[in-house]
Amino acid sequence: MQADIDPFELFDLPRRHAVARDLVEARYLELSKAAHPDNVAGESVAERRRAVERASRINAAYRILRDPVLRAEVLVKLAGVDLDSSDPQHGAPHPTQAFLLEMIDLRERLEDAGPAGLPALQREIEDRAEAALDAAVAAISGGDTRAAAEHLVARRYFQRFLEEAEHHA
Amino acid sequence: MPEIDLKDTGALFQIAEPTSQVRAPRRPGRGIGIDLGTTNSLVALAPNGAAPHVLKDTSGSGLVPSIVAYLDDAILVGRAAQALQLEHPERVISSVKRFMGRGLADIDFTHPYHLVEDSPGLLRLDVGPKRLTPIEVSAEILRALKQRAEAELGEPCDGAVITVPAYFDDAQRQATRDAGRIAGLNVYRLLAEPTAAALAYGLDRGGEGLFAVYDLGGGTFDISVLRLHAGVFQVLATGGDSALGGDDFDRALARHLLDRAGVAEPSRLQLEAARLAARAAKERLTEETSTIVRVPALGLAAEVTRAEFEARIEALAQRTIRACRQTLKDAGVRPTELDGVVLVGGSTRVPRIRALVAETFKKEPLADIDPDEVVAWGAAIQADILSGSAREGATLLDVVPLSLGLETMGGIVEKIIPRNATIPIAARQVFTNYSEQQTGMVIHVVQGERELARDCRSLARFELKGIPRLPPSMARVEVTFQLDADALLTVTARELMTGVRQSVEVKPTYGLSEEEVDRLVMESLDHAGEDYASRNTAEARVELGRVLLAVRTALAEVGHLPELLPPAERATIEAALAEADAAMAADAPADRLSKARAALEKISEPFARRRMERALLAGMSGKSLHDIESALADDESLREKRAGHSPELVGPKEP
Repeated sequence: MQADIDPFELFDLPRRHAVARDLVEARYLELSKAAHPDNVAGESVAERRRAVERASRINAAYRILRDPVLRAEVLVKLAGVDLDSSDPQHGAPHPTQAFLLEMIDLRERLEDAGPAGLPALQREIEDRAEAALDAAVAAISGGDTRAAAEHLVARRYFQRFLEEAEHHA
Repeated sequence: MPEIDLKDTGALFQIAEPTSQVRAPRRPGRGIGIDLGTTNSLVALAPNGAAPHVLKDTSGSGLVPSIVAYLDDAILVGRAAQALQLEHPERVISSVKRFMGRGLADIDFTHPYHLVEDSPGLLRLDVGPKRLTPIEVSAEILRALKQRAEAELGEPCDGAVITVPAYFDDAQRQATRDAGRIAGLNVYRLLAEPTAAALAYGLDRGGEGLFAVYDLGGGTFDISVLRLHAGVFQVLATGGDSALGGDDFDRALARHLLDRAGVAEPSRLQLEAARLAARAAKERLTEETSTIVRVPALGLAAEVTRAEFEARIEALAQRTIRACRQTLKDAGVRPTELDGVVLVGGSTRVPRIRALVAETFKKEPLADIDPDEVVAWGAAIQADILSGSAREGATLLDVVPLSLGLETMGGIVEKIIPRNATIPIAARQVFTNYSEQQTGMVIHVVQGERELARDCRSLARFELKGIPRLPPSMARVEVTFQLDADALLTVTARELMTGVRQSVEVKPTYGLSEEEVDRLVMESLDHAGEDYASRNTAEARVELGRVLLAVRTALAEVGHLPELLPPAERATIEAALAEADAAMAADAPADRLSKARAALEKISEPFARRRMERALLAGMSGKSLHDIESALADDESLREKRAGHSPELVGPKEP
């Protein structure tokens, strides 16, 4: 998805994690009404293409603003760390050795769990993913971009683990 | 960054662009709305802010059967084509919508047609000497609707909104758009059917609230959850099945009839007869709890109860309910939060469906706008808006029904746009090269929710060409996947190092290439004039033929009863018949044929009325429902027999 826009700026919202849902919805409707390609149905091809691009940016921003994870990730990106990049300076920080060993351990637990033990394991990892997101949000408010990025990377590992666990079920 | 297998693909340059026609100024109030249905199609107008109305033919019918007959010298659409269906099944195509955007392997329902797949993914139907794509067949229906609209407008229309099931994938939508172009229409927009219905209801009710639209048509099922607020119609989620509809109910009941008749290997004619009898029985079972079904072709006369019918369709009905529950979940809405649920489509008249919908959504469904017309109304309203009329606009925020993904190494799908994302929406991916020799790459785009590309629906292969030669992993090709407001995909590419736009050649998996569509558009423009005249004449011949047969048969059966037909009146009827015969024999133009038909209908009307009264009186004097149905069924089988008489009155003249 497009991650090169600043959804907060587009929606005229302060750049912080907490957002007022009602405000996001109201702004979305206003922006969509004004930018919908149908408004320029009679114009030139170039004008219509611009409208499609404008509407796409608004829809992408809306999707980000409604999702607490995407919101956190874009805030971290705007502060200089791109979690989708492997660039050593501006990309996602590498997880620690300890963390990677933990993930290996979790994988073994998944294998051993069997259908009986699976739900409990899933709940445990869901809690950890939630906790990672909370920690990231706290780090963002505290201005510590690096720490936030690390927590979000951890959260992604947990997310991927949960997706794989689904297929084990 | 995902690395895709690249290969050198040569030097041809073709750019994939959204169709760039030179824009002539719009003509406000001349937009038309078309509901292109599986079983029936409609065209409606709502010019310059007026309330929508469906255009009707001379007999007051707004529904045009989605049936096309290919005769040697003319192409017929609608009821005229329908009249020829039983005797010439190989020349008459119905439910063509079920073939749009599909390949041979997708067709898993019974049908009487001979299908071929010349090139993989491009289905064609053999119709007499012709081999046609479903797109061309649909174009004939659209052309007929366009003519009906222009007859009413008195001048050419500016453009059309054509509705599609919300659950239609990219290939099915593209096929619909192509059909519109070939029919000579400027397609403003493809509009999702549930959204169109919501538009018609929403504006009707001063639009605010959360609504579900349950749309069960002849061949497709859609469920959409929408929020209406401040003039914005926002689809929150959509789901459905583009191969499930009332036709399947007919087929299920037809199988029941075939079982009852003990017919193990039915012929094509028997299958058709069973299906038509099943459809009629299904409709009767909406009002009655049991009905007599007679199918002479199967040697069957049996009673079918509503309970038996419901048992046969229960699995199908439950499939729709599962889709409803999933869509509510996707929308994040509980049934109790909905302000209403709207029923769309003729098949929602089935009592079991209504009961299931009420139970699932925990409220009585709304059906006060005619479920057959509501979609066309919505299309007409949006067409009016897009024609530039002064009507206050409504903003329609629709969603893509299926996730869009790329096939990566090992056949795994990487999702780039999730289902239910509001459109227009774009996704970008950056690709790199493996070796310096590589100047192109192929991206395979699929639609669907599964993990593996082969389990998803293949959309197209996009070939990128002209990537500059760079050391391995140095090229940065940014590919943009853009879904427009019709949910149609356009792919563009740019090499980031040089900033150069790449050329992208589109190879759709199912459907016609841009060049093939252009060619068909040109061909149809050439033939537009001739087609119109010959179609009119052929239709008039068929209509007159029907009336001639009906009157002659009635005369033969009861014309000798003086209380039904006084001799003097019989003489005037015979005179009208003679004129009709003369017009047919003289190969007269449409005008004379229509006049003869109108005269014959008028003159024989009192006779027809008396026969009807006689039948009703016989039915009502102390007879049981069983006997009345029996008597009516007798009439029906008599009509079926009569239908078999038409061939010698229509069709090409022998040299």
